[in-house]
Amino acid sequence: MNTISKNGSVQNTVSTLAKQFRANIQTYAIIVAMIFIWILFSIATGGLYLSSQNISNLIRQITVTAFLSVGMVLIIVTGNIDLSVGKVAGFVSVIVAQLQANIWYKIFPEQDLLAAILSVIVGLAVGTLIGALQGYVVSYLAVPSFIVTLGAQWAFNGGILIVTQGKTIPANQPYFSWIGQGYLKPTAGWIVAAGVIALLFYTMFNSRQKKRRYGFELSPLYLDILKTVLYSVLIVIYVAVVNSFNGVQIPVLLLAIAAVVMSYVSNNTRFGRYAYAIGGNREAARLSGVNIKKNVFTIFVIMGLLCGVSGVVLASYIGYGTVAAGGGYELDAIASCILGGTSTLGGEGTVFGAMIGSLIMASITNGLQILNVPASWQYVVKGAVLIMAVYMDVYFKKNR
Amino acid sequence: MNDDNAANSNSAVADDIILDFRHVTKQFPGVTALSDVSLQIRRGEIHGICGENGAGKSTLMKILSGVYPWGTYEGQIFFEGQELKLESRSIRQAIEAGIAIVYQELTLVPGMTVGENVFLGKEPLEAGAINWDKLYADTQQLLTKYKLDIHPQALVKNLGVGKMQMTEIAKALSENARILILDEPTSALAEAEIEKLMEILRTLKEHGVTCIYISHKLNEFFTITDTITVLRDGRVITTQPTRDLSVEKLVSYMVGREMTERFPESHRQPGEVILEVEDLHAVDPEESTREVLKGVNFNLRKGEVLGIAGLMGSGRTELAMTIFGEYGKITRGAVKLEGRTLDIKSSREAMMQGLSLVPEDRKRHGLVLIQSILRNISLPNLDLFASWFRIDDNAELKASRTFAQSLAIKAPNLEVQCNTLSGGNQQKVVISKWLMSKPKVLIMDDPTRGIDVGAKYEIYKLVNELAAQGIAIIMISSDLEEVLGMSDRVMVMHAGRSAGTLDIAEATQERIMTLATGIA
Repeated sequence: MNTISKNGSVQNTVSTLAKQFRANIQTYAIIVAMIFIWILFSIATGGLYLSSQNISNLIRQITVTAFLSVGMVLIIVTGNIDLSVGKVAGFVSVIVAQLQANIWYKIFPEQDLLAAILSVIVGLAVGTLIGALQGYVVSYLAVPSFIVTLGAQWAFNGGILIVTQGKTIPANQPYFSWIGQGYLKPTAGWIVAAGVIALLFYTMFNSRQKKRRYGFELSPLYLDILKTVLYSVLIVIYVAVVNSFNGVQIPVLLLAIAAVVMSYVSNNTRFGRYAYAIGGNREAARLSGVNIKKNVFTIFVIMGLLCGVSGVVLASYIGYGTVAAGGGYELDAIASCILGGTSTLGGEGTVFGAMIGSLIMASITNGLQILNVPASWQYVVKGAVLIMAVYMDVYFKKNR
Repeated sequence: MNDDNAANSNSAVADDIILDFRHVTKQFPGVTALSDVSLQIRRGEIHGICGENGAGKSTLMKILSGVYPWGTYEGQIFFEGQELKLESRSIRQAIEAGIAIVYQELTLVPGMTVGENVFLGKEPLEAGAINWDKLYADTQQLLTKYKLDIHPQALVKNLGVGKMQMTEIAKALSENARILILDEPTSALAEAEIEKLMEILRTLKEHGVTCIYISHKLNEFFTITDTITVLRDGRVITTQPTRDLSVEKLVSYMVGREMTERFPESHRQPGEVILEVEDLHAVDPEESTREVLKGVNFNLRKGEVLGIAGLMGSGRTELAMTIFGEYGKITRGAVKLEGRTLDIKSSREAMMQGLSLVPEDRKRHGLVLIQSILRNISLPNLDLFASWFRIDDNAELKASRTFAQSLAIKAPNLEVQCNTLSGGNQQKVVISKWLMSKPKVLIMDDPTRGIDVGAKYEIYKLVNELAAQGIAIIMISSDLEEVLGMSDRVMVMHAGRSAGTLDIAEATQERIMTLATGIA
């Protein structure tokens, strides 16, 4: 009897693992691809690639466009597209820079903290408003999102020129710079890490308890613990690495918050579920009582808010508002989503995947930069990787 | 293709018979769609084929157009004395052989002119460029020859349905079609257009074109055809000259089969009236001049199953969608639930009022196929488990599991994607998702279409259980036996109207057919 039950439980574990693996095969494949890329570059650069300074830089490099990918996932999931995000973020960045450089000090001089806070609020508000406007035209006036956002891309390119008058505007004032360039002190970094790890364990046990109350079968305890420990270890490694350089960067922290919140929203709220249903089968969603217009509108509003965040971080990070701000970011954001497994047909895609996608794109660019590959060839490689990745996805889907 | 098989057919008949089916059998897993069909079409005649939905008409046409290629069916088909051996999906090959099909759904490019459509894929060329003058001149010549009254340079999207159909016919004739198959050609046409079509068919006949005419409207057969073949359950019941037949005979051939033990027993005791539909008129929301419902009247009691019968295009589905607030714009009349007049503008409002709809096309309207069973069942019911910021996924799973189990959905767990399920199981998922909201009225639009007999029986049992719980059920069906076996009363629709409501005791297949075909 004993042996049989032992066997049974072992088999159960193995099959649970196998099932989870099959369900997330796409995510695992892309993580494996990323690790492969890291190893490759690490060898090519003689270890320089995996130095704590480079890792720290690499992750910060992705933040500005990664904010955009976080929102773009849901846009693409509902079967839409947003080509304006780069220029909207750029527009927000130059408005914020203009406020920082030329407006606030006239109204309340010597109030750097207040100025920075107001800049952030205005930046987020402008982004959200633009998102709402575009969302309204797309969902209530039924103009295809491709057209609306293409038009908006041109319009805000013009907006950037109008605001800057073709000049570069400094945005490197104290407090404001901290948003894009600041670090958490090493101790603060460890405290945050400890908090997150505690939360992970609490969530895990809490969810098990709830499942038990409902009488559902639980996956083996050690498996859940193993998973949580693995995440914890990754967090610890990350904090240790960046602390040995300068500490946890503020924009990375902000990005992590945005990604976790949006990931939660997309999986655990009606709003998120409806988005996937709309992308999966618009007619079925409509007949199931989903308010498609409202849902798509809200997604564009959120996209606008994230463009605001991205714009503020952009201005603060580079310390300037420039005419070129945000150029081409929309394509990076879209490519990150696609690399991360978001289906161009809609209905499929995760925020987590898009983050990994962003990281892959940045990892390649960064590695090529260290190897002194000219910018022209970096573009060629990036393009080839994108196409190859999607081809592999198509190939595996066909042969599954 | 042009020489060998001639010896096969005896030559005296070969001159007369243009198309000859010999013992054609087509099987699908679990279903025999055509069973030993032998059928001969004579040169120059208009040959009507009639039968209920699912009798095998469309399977026959799909074989002729190469959708089911040679080798996937048993038996032989001889065309002009030679065996027809179509390759997979090669409609082109069928056309080149001289067989042209005018489908129910027109297959024209709306943004092109009549001429461009007629010569699509075979445009006359001059030095590599399209010779437009020749194209339009040839089109005009063709149109004049067959007395088709359309302008060659008119844009197809600006034409009415009748003229689009003429374009389609012209396109078929431009290929030198020797046999023209018309599949439900009048289902979308108005009276005047139908008469025009009949004239065209007579002209075609004068020019020696053979026609196969498929329709649900029996009186048309007597206007136009020379011979009629009746199909039922994939078999040829009879082939007779039209003059020897009458509508009554035709109907009895179409439905004349014995009832078997296909339906679970039930003892229903309908309660008070819950839903009343009074003189309901509605128009297509996209095209407000097209009336889709032209006066529908019925009522429905608690715990009752009201069958709605009617042929395709009779407005059954439009009625269901209109009551559910998702399709027609109501122009006259009212829908009353428990005595209150409803003003429903979306499916969400309908659900809140206690209505549920199991839609006709489960793949297009019922399911998000790329999602799991769980996600599909819970989709319309998330309000039950969710606050604004969180879905209680445990409660979601528990409720969904309860329904999945009570409906016996066959799958290892609820994470299975719906596109891997069988038709019957998919339909059970759709029904589950609409039962969770505890509806007062459940509308089921052809709930057993395309699913196997066993699954059908389970769905019938479920319908009985639900009725016993006091849910009022509207069951729309193409299958007359099902309507008779399951309903307490039957409402028959014809051309957007309720043609009559029959008590189950007085309902027979013949009476339903008579009402549905608009003969009465």
